[in-house]
Amino acid sequence: MKRKTAIILRYVILILGAIIMLMPFLWMISTSLKTQPETVKIPPIWIPKHLMFSNYVDALKEAPFFRYFINSVVVTSLTTVGQLFTSILAAFAFSRLNFYGKNILFVIFLGTMMVPGEMLIIPNFVTLSQLHLVNTYGALIIPWLASFFTVFTLRQTFQSVPDQIYYAAKIDGASDWHYLWHVLVPISKSTITAVTVLQVIGSWNAFMWPLIVTNTENLRTLPVGLQAFTSDAGTNYALLMAASTFVIIPMVVLYVFLQKYIIAGISKTGLKG
Amino acid sequence: MEVTFKDVSLSYDGSREILHHLNFTIPEGTLVSILGPSGCGKSTTLMMISGLLAPTSGQIFFGDEDVTKQDALQRKVGMVFQNYALYPHLNVLDNIMFPLKMAKVPKPERKKKAIELAKLVHIEDQLDKKPGSLSGGQQQRVAIARALAKEPSLLLLDEPLSNLDARLRIEMRQEIRRIQQETGVTTIFVTHDQDEALHISDHIMVLNSGQIQQFSSAETLYDNPSNLFVAQFIGEPVINTLDIADFGDELKGQIDTELLKRTQKVGIRPEALQDHDTGAETLATITTKVKTFEKFGREKNALLDFNGKRLLTTEIEAEIAEGQELPLYLQKSGFYLFDQDGTRIFGGDQDA
Ligand SMILES: Nc1ncnc2c1ncn2[C@@H]1O[C@H](COP(=O)(O)OP(=O)(O)OP(=O)(O)O)[C@@H](O)[C@H]1O
Ligand SMILES: [Mg+2]
Repeated sequence: MKRKTAIILRYVILILGAIIMLMPFLWMISTSLKTQPETVKIPPIWIPKHLMFSNYVDALKEAPFFRYFINSVVVTSLTTVGQLFTSILAAFAFSRLNFYGKNILFVIFLGTMMVPGEMLIIPNFVTLSQLHLVNTYGALIIPWLASFFTVFTLRQTFQSVPDQIYYAAKIDGASDWHYLWHVLVPISKSTITAVTVLQVIGSWNAFMWPLIVTNTENLRTLPVGLQAFTSDAGTNYALLMAASTFVIIPMVVLYVFLQKYIIAGISKTGLKG
Repeated sequence: MEVTFKDVSLSYDGSREILHHLNFTIPEGTLVSILGPSGCGKSTTLMMISGLLAPTSGQIFFGDEDVTKQDALQRKVGMVFQNYALYPHLNVLDNIMFPLKMAKVPKPERKKKAIELAKLVHIEDQLDKKPGSLSGGQQQRVAIARALAKEPSLLLLDEPLSNLDARLRIEMRQEIRRIQQETGVTTIFVTHDQDEALHISDHIMVLNSGQIQQFSSAETLYDNPSNLFVAQFIGEPVINTLDIADFGDELKGQIDTELLKRTQKVGIRPEALQDHDTGAETLATITTKVKTFEKFGREKNALLDFNGKRLLTTEIEAEIAEGQELPLYLQKSGFYLFDQDGTRIFGGDQDA
């Protein structure tokens, strides 16, 4: 009897948690189907009288979302691939190679993880402007080609691979390069998937940085593009939410398909995203 | 391939030397065991042969070629690690093919070769499985097949049987011997189990605290141990060891007094204590008292008291009772004297 209550209690808490997590998404979808007056009605309504699917069509007409979408895809994929590549190499060096100053370098990098991202915006902006990269794709991509969080996470995983596997690869004729790509990376698949997904989501949703370093419409990414619904006359919440729904769908799909790896990868390294 | 160590020493940290001036030659085509207690430097020696570890000083030769400066990639030996070290993300077939892939062998050829090897080690029915779902014995066979894949001229095995149960162990060591003889590959087999070494190898190198104690055939190790360590390490049950002070009187007149003066320890194999007179083979007669007598199967072990010291014999023919007095006939063969450095100064073929 006691056990049964405990189980029920556990599920009640989990369900409450899930509802709280889902609330904003449900609100978004609900709002995206409302008429303009309904969005600001007090008390708020959850289920609109007429489901305004036309909002989705109208939203896409409001701004060149296709262009924004391409920009987002390009920026997200290049930063993710680039960052993964540099991080894998760095993590290999930190976990397997011996070089002068390795530990000090590692500690310094670790220190940079403690610096809040917002503090880096101004120095990064200044650097880019001196390189004449402001308002280019370079500005959107280059600062994110290295991430110590990813390096650190991968290093932890790489270090958990036994030395003897490395020796075996050497005996089998694998150079360090081959060992890295044919053995270490495949073995660390779940962690790599996890950091990739975190990076894709982070990059896809990035708002502040693209907003600051770009000012032409051609370079806008989706999150920045959502501003189109905000004007001096106020915000069109219904259209904004309809567009937002489009923006997050790819991420939700990605997460659903890869959640097994993401959870395994994150719990393995003892880090949370 | 013949392997030669010339004055090889190794220290991991630059201060404590682990291996001291090793000198040996392993003849081409033989199976040699490196035998010694845990921590004596067996794996370290193997790592130096494979090129995974560079010696601190000295030279290593493969045939006539000095390979001291070559790394593992260049030396091209095959190796089975203490814990197999299979690639967990690859199935059995891909594990065996991996060295061939690294050697850029075309895919169809790779596969053909890998399947051949899988048949050699009898795992051809497990090709699609990942190492994680194989038994220890199966993993070991995969590891051997992988090590043989690039047809090395030298195969190194680091305690490959240590994780197996007793029966599988015996089966697998015969298997290894068979594979070695079928392929003719020079093989170095590390173990701390003397039984394993005695059964599998052409020659045995006994290692202790980083020094070679003796390097010879199994019979020579047993019949002519070069020192007290080897005498005590090889043989089951263990050789009886007494201080000369406790045994010297019995030997007076039988053995040269000069020799006895230099003697520190006396070693008597359990089978060198017979319960009947063997005539010319008998060196001395001693009187003992039976402490315990045990019989199981073909084994008979009598634990005896000799002037307060314990002696063990396996050669009791008659029925004896605990507590009774028993005269024993000390045989020439299986009787040794060792000096203060532990070196054998009497016994073995030289004094037969
Ligand atoms: N990487 C290392 N760094 C420092 N010392 C080491 C290292 N590897 C081994 N040693 C030391 O070298 C000595 C020999 O070790 P080794 O692994 O060769 O022994 P072993 O004979 O293979 O023992 P076992 O039968 O337990 O495998 C030991 O004292 C060990 O502590
Ligand atoms: Mg070892």
